[in-house]
Amino acid sequence: MNIIKRFFSGMKQKDEPIKDTVDIAEPVAELTASEPTASETAAASERFADEPPAARTVLHAPVISQGVFSKESDEILIKAQPSPTGDQCMFTVNRMLMKGCSWYFDSFESAVESSLAESIFSLDDVETALVCEATVTVTRKDKTLVDWKPLAKEIGASIRNAMQEGQSLIADKIISSIPSEDVIREGIQKVIDEEVNPGVAGHGGQITLLAVKGNSVTIQMGGGCQGCSAADLTLKQGIHTSFRKGVPEVGAIFDETDHTAGLNPYFS
Amino acid sequence: MPRVLTFKVNIETGKQGPNEPVHFSFNGHKMPFEKVIGSNEPDAIFEGSFDVNSFAHSLTLVGPEKGKWEIEKITVDYECEGEKPYAVNWGAITLDETSEVNLWQDPPIPAFDV
Repeated sequence: MNIIKRFFSGMKQKDEPIKDTVDIAEPVAELTASEPTASETAAASERFADEPPAARTVLHAPVISQGVFSKESDEILIKAQPSPTGDQCMFTVNRMLMKGCSWYFDSFESAVESSLAESIFSLDDVETALVCEATVTVTRKDKTLVDWKPLAKEIGASIRNAMQEGQSLIADKIISSIPSEDVIREGIQKVIDEEVNPGVAGHGGQITLLAVKGNSVTIQMGGGCQGCSAADLTLKQGIHTSFRKGVPEVGAIFDETDHTAGLNPYFS
Repeated sequence: MPRVLTFKVNIETGKQGPNEPVHFSFNGHKMPFEKVIGSNEPDAIFEGSFDVNSFAHSLTLVGPEKGKWEIEKITVDYECEGEKPYAVNWGAITLDETSEVNLWQDPPIPAFDV
């Protein structure tokens, strides 16, 4: 209120004519005259109300998961969930496949001695498979097909067969080759600093390593990457490739970017 | 990014609640809820809804103008064009005059048994 009064006081004094003589009683009268009227105050309030409110920080509360499977079962249950882009499909199993870590199989050769991956790669159309905790995410060779149901049923049967055979789902040599979280963190950070961020900086983008759990990493895309329609392409073809080349033992790569939040998302 | 026809919130307040009108922000526009039942005073349950009929880029629950708001649980029921109605539950979070909390989640990706 004081600021508003001062604002109007200043305006009034500026408009007043310069007087040659001032009597003693006048300053008091002038002070009273410079007080804003109710309508002036209301106008000022309206003017200040037009200013945008201060930006707030958008927080994210934890989502309470409803669970993929409605009930516990002794049977091996598998759910297939194709991605919105149609290029991959995630299979969630009601059993743990690889506890505490993950592994990316990029070819049939890489699947040797891992019965789960061998079984999946025995199917012609499988390109890659990522095993993480209780999930397997598969990409297919034929990118023109969007209907996952026929292949998903075959993959589901392959996963089930491998689990029922009782052999090592993931090769022991893979499990023993997974380095510590510190080694993964150091290697990924180096790739981000030296390769990824200089690359995306040209578009005003920035990648931040948020967390490392086992050999799985979580990143966030910021700046111009946030909300960008090409973010998914950048992530899969650029960042994933760089990470796996620089740190071959890295498993799952999660993107925790909220592409609709923040003060300057791309779409705005 | 579907067209949101309507959404309804159910907010359980914990031990600290501002007891002031509750606002949400849809695509950056701050608005009060409609069909309000209850309040956000301590240990109370607030229910409100809004017929949006617009595409969702962002949807947040705006924190109080003054004081803190301890939220125990938020449930949002969405009805979107061309989608089955779905609901999302969030856990505890505390809001104040500097914060808001995300209330938007895309419709679940269809899954099938194999």
